[in-house]
Amino acid sequence: MENIALIITEAVSAILCFVLLRFVIKPYRITGEGRYLGLPLGFGFLGVSYIFMGFALYFESFIFFDDLKWFQLFTQGYAFAFLAATYYFSKKSPERARLWWDITYAGLVFAAVVSYLVVFEPPMFGLPSYKIVDEYFKLFNIICLAYISIHTLRIHVSQPDPKTIWVPISYILLGFGQYSSLIWSLDSSFSAYVGSHLLRLLGLLIFAFVVYQSFHSKRAESLKGEIRTEEACT
Amino acid sequence: MKIYGDLLFILYSESKKEKVVLTHVQLKTNVPFDRLKSYIAELKGLGLVEDEPSFRLTDKGKQYLREYQTVLDFMKRMGLTYR
Repeated sequence: MENIALIITEAVSAILCFVLLRFVIKPYRITGEGRYLGLPLGFGFLGVSYIFMGFALYFESFIFFDDLKWFQLFTQGYAFAFLAATYYFSKKSPERARLWWDITYAGLVFAAVVSYLVVFEPPMFGLPSYKIVDEYFKLFNIICLAYISIHTLRIHVSQPDPKTIWVPISYILLGFGQYSSLIWSLDSSFSAYVGSHLLRLLGLLIFAFVVYQSFHSKRAESLKGEIRTEEACT
Repeated sequence: MKIYGDLLFILYSESKKEKVVLTHVQLKTNVPFDRLKSYIAELKGLGLVEDEPSFRLTDKGKQYLREYQTVLDFMKRMGLTYR
């Protein structure tokens, strides 16, 4: 019963990520700038990581359960790394940073391939236990999310606007979700485990709300009919 | 890429006036005149602006500009800067 609830949470999280993916790809499509590619890649990897976790929970008794958990770990780490890279490069001048974001994204893809070969292809190297690696990855995810939260909060503070507060909140919730998951990993507290799932779900729902506000709310629909005379983004 | 969006926006604002004066557009975009003309030629090639009978955005250009503004608004909400 407990597993079913968790599998449903993973499934809902994955669906939300793939719905968000449809919208977060738009900045890349409309600007044609590679630095915004990290956003769809991030949410895509995040969705895939939740699918892996859902399968890992469903096929708990099968032999490849451990492999799926490792996949989940890596895909989630790459997801947050791609998101952090996008926010880092978004504040840079495109002329100066183009080479660096190409190198960074190529490096992340290269690291993904290498880590796949090292971890999943036999012969396996003498890796530490899953639990220890999991804790390090969560720490890495928290650092990425803390960076993104600070970045988005600073933008909100520099140009206060009620509509820009939701995204920092959702990144903070995702960060606390990872923290809660780390606590669970350390002391096996059930409330931390449930809390991590709830916080993550809430964070993703806020993202969905932001997407709805931008593209489908009554205000957005009315704006589609006219061209604003002020610029939206500086 | 941003210059094309900005240029479309300025051309749209200017087209509301009696006549689009390219010198005014140049002052607002802050690009050299020959480069401005090449940008406009590219926009015309893409079917986003037309200069007959007068300078204005085509329906395709207006649609692109609306989409561009919606996405810029979304980027602002997402905490992304675009320069």
